[in-house]
Order: sequence, then C-alpha cells, then structure tokens
Amino acid sequence: MQIKIASVDSVIIYFSNDISKETSIVVKNAYKTLKAKNNRALIEIIPSYNSILITYDIFVFDFESIKKYLNNLLLNISMNEKENKNIINIDVYYGAEVGFDLPRVSKVSKLSFEEIVEIHSSKVYDIYAIGFLPGFAYMASVDERILVPRLQTPRKNIPKGSVAIANNQTAIYPQNSPGGWNIIGKTTYKLFDKTLENLTPLSIDLKIKFNPISKEQFVLNGGIL
Amino acid sequence: MSGFEVLKSGYFTLLQDRGRFSLMYLGVTQSGIMDEYAALMAQKLLHNSLDANILEIVFGNVELKATSNTYISICGASLEFFINDEPRDLWRTHHIKAGDTIRVGKMIQGQRVYLAVKDGFAIKKELGSNSTTIKEQLGGINGKAISTNEFLPYDECNEILYSRLSQKYIPSYDEEILVLRVVLSYQEESFSKKEKEKFFGSVYTVTNDFNRMACKLNGEKINSKLDGIISEGISFGAVQIPKDGQPIVLLKERQTIGGYPKIGSVLSIDCFKLAQRKVGSKVKFEPIDINSAQKKLKNFYSIFS
Repeated sequence: MQIKIASVDSVIIYFSNDISKETSIVVKNAYKTLKAKNNRALIEIIPSYNSILITYDIFVFDFESIKKYLNNLLLNISMNEKENKNIINIDVYYGAEVGFDLPRVSKVSKLSFEEIVEIHSSKVYDIYAIGFLPGFAYMASVDERILVPRLQTPRKNIPKGSVAIANNQTAIYPQNSPGGWNIIGKTTYKLFDKTLENLTPLSIDLKIKFNPISKEQFVLNGGIL
Repeated sequence: MSGFEVLKSGYFTLLQDRGRFSLMYLGVTQSGIMDEYAALMAQKLLHNSLDANILEIVFGNVELKATSNTYISICGASLEFFINDEPRDLWRTHHIKAGDTIRVGKMIQGQRVYLAVKDGFAIKKELGSNSTTIKEQLGGINGKAISTNEFLPYDECNEILYSRLSQKYIPSYDEEILVLRVVLSYQEESFSKKEKEKFFGSVYTVTNDFNRMACKLNGEKINSKLDGIISEGISFGAVQIPKDGQPIVLLKERQTIGGYPKIGSVLSIDCFKLAQRKVGSKVKFEPIDINSAQKKLKNFYSIFS
C-alpha cells in the first residue's frame, strides 16, 4: 500500500500496480472501512481498480496527518476478508436492432450471435469501479473468446440501457452518452435513478449476471427497440 | 410571486453553488462554480451563506426583471452592467425594487460573471446541490441551462444592506501570462527531468477545447514514460498528459475516473483564475510544494469566513 499526493487537498492510495481480482477485494475492503468511519473530513472517496482517491478537508488534515490516519486505519486490510457473494440479475435483449456491434464482435471472434450471447451471459462479473457517468459500472472479466477492442471512432450517441463490451470489460450505459464500447444488447434495468434514496442498486461489492430475454419480453418490460 | 422574470437568458447561464459532494463514488461529477473567488465574494457582499446558489453567466447578454424588492451583487468578469439602463459597478451590492430591470451586457475582460441574490434563489436542490450539470441532467431547473421566460424565485428582502469590495481585492484578468502553480503528484515519476523542465519552462496557450469539464492547452509537447494507466480517481486541477503531449487541466465537471498519466494538479485557486481566461490567452506552470499550497488555499478561504 502506497499513499501519494494527488492534489492540494487529495491523496491517492495505491494497493498494487495491476488489475486483479485479489487487488479489487483489498480495494473494496479498504473502501468499506473508510466509509464506515463516517468521517466528514473525508469529502470524496473514489475507489477504482487498484486505488482509492480521497479528497479531504485541509482545515482538519494536512498531508502528513492524513497519511498517518489512513495508514493506521488500513494497516490490517487484507484480501482474506470474505467476499460479498450477492448477485444482481439483469435482463438483456441481445438482438441486432439494439446490439449495433454484434456483427463486428461476430466478425472479430468468428462466433455466431447465439454463441456470443451464450458466452456473455453465462459468466458472473465483478464490479471493479463505478465512474465515467453516474451509475456506469466497469465489470470484468469478459471471456477471452469475445475480447474485442473499443471502436476506433466513438459513437456520438449510445442509447441508455445499451449493454457493451470492450476488451475484457463489460458495462451498461446508464444514460444516453457518447462512447466507444461495442454494443451487443439492451436492458430496461435502471442503473441510476435520482428519485431513489440510494440512487443506484449497484455497489462495487456486488456481482452481476446477465440474463438473455426475448424481444417480446424486452418490449413487454418497456424496452425501446 | 417574488423573483426574476428572465427576459433574456444569455448564451450560457447556469444555476450553480459550491458543488455536489460525496457522490463521486457513483460517477456523479462535482460541478459547481468555476471561479470560486468571484462567486464567493458575491455571496459575502450580501452576507449570504457561502453555500447559497448563484447564477454563473458566460458571455453575458442576460436581462432580468424583478417582481419584488431584494439586493443583488455581481462579481467576476468586467462587463457592461445596467439597472434600468443606468450603468452600475460590479463588486458591490445593489438595491433592486419591484419592476427594475437588470441587464448584463458584453464581457470586456474575463469569461464568467456571478450574479447573487439576497439569500439565494428559492429553487429545490437535487442530490444535495443546485449545481447544474447538463450532461447528467442534474440541478438547476430540470438539469438545464437557464432559458428565456423562466422564473427565478427569491424571497423578498426589505432590510438595508450595503457593501462594496475594496479596490485592492478586485482581481484583474489581464495578466500577460497567468501562472498556474502545480503540486507534483500522481504519475509525476513517469516524467523525466527533461520533460518536467519543458513543462515548467514553456508558455502554453488556452485552446477552444475549454469548458466546465476541462481546459486543453497547446504548446511544448510533454512525454510520459507511460502509455496509459489503470483508471483512477481524478482530483480537481489534475493535469492529464494524453498521447499527443498537450496538457489538459481537469476542472469542476471532470469525469470521476480516468486513465491518462497525470504530472500533478494545479492549485485550486489558480484553477479559479484559469476559469476567467479566454481562448488564446497564455499560461505557464510553476511548481509548489504541498505545505505551501495548503497554506495558500487556507488563506484563500479565510477571506470569506
């Protein structure tokens, strides 16, 4: 664990130099420990793959004292603590009308649409980070057989609910947005809802599984083709 | 109803406050006033809470008609400003009577001007803040910029209030080269001594790729030994160096996490000054150590307390 300056009022904690499930578990445990402190002087706590950024109140801490505080608090964080096994199931319609990049993914992977859907929906994914847009969760790891890089030129507008893959990651666009990931399906599942007190059903310690549904079911659920 | 009728909304007028906090872990950006000096000074003159909301006006051309008595203050870019067609000064309070019209004209120097009303506008917060973030459709009025014919309600005020800022505290936005002090941080070790010398020794130009999210600069190319990094949280003022080597200073509406190497972070106070710079103006970077930087930032906020 290494604590470095990020800016005049923030520090970044690095837990390792690479992306791995083990690192991610350490990050999640450290994040939970920090949140549980409920310390108002920790203004923002942003976990990501191998790091946590913390913005702090400079009228309470200086760099040396925040470093000491964090070191003490996170001294005993380990990857041995138990992992949350809760899974959220998300219904997805994988069809050519909504999955614009299914042909591209099929071409790169040399697999049929059915095989791509089977591979994508049979895995349970971990959430590694939430960011980019409100409720945009970076999930991994996508099966090697359907590893497809980002689009060379990002799309100007990806519809809300689009399910996408890029390299070994998968995600759902929580709102209409520009983006460069490969779109393979669409869901009516809401990832960010400002009318809810918790705003999102997601948190970094949950797991996600995609459940393929028919076009009829998707439309019945309120899906837009 | 008590408030302003928006006769002309201007080119880009947003309701803001100090920002939306503690939600970056969900990907919700901070948002908020771009130039805290001007905006907080406008609140201080009115004896408002520093957390009150305020109009952030870019490029001017705003006209408001008051339906009841209140006080306003207007601080920031120098510009033509009229009450009932009479030119008035910035950086002071003004009594507004029912029926008065307020007109914010063309900007002369600077980019943004802040118009505060006594006790703020009576507009509901969203996720703890009035700050408008258009891409997230949050805050303001329906997550959008202020538009013509909208109504901005406030509570009538009939008390007596007068304050005016001393001349020496009024900033000018016309230095030939704005100095941005940088706390070296994040991936600074991935920039060689030679690259750092280039970074701190060159003059950069503000490009038109400049909005509430970030300011892209143009000048001497800087190279990192790293191609990209594992995406991580981005702080206010962080200086990203993408592959083209041209620095990007991340501002209030930055995305919460990102994967470009960063050489350091611009001191917040200097980001506020940058927010007033026009396309084509010049900036240069200067290193500052963390302790001096924190001292400067504390001094900055103590002016308002």
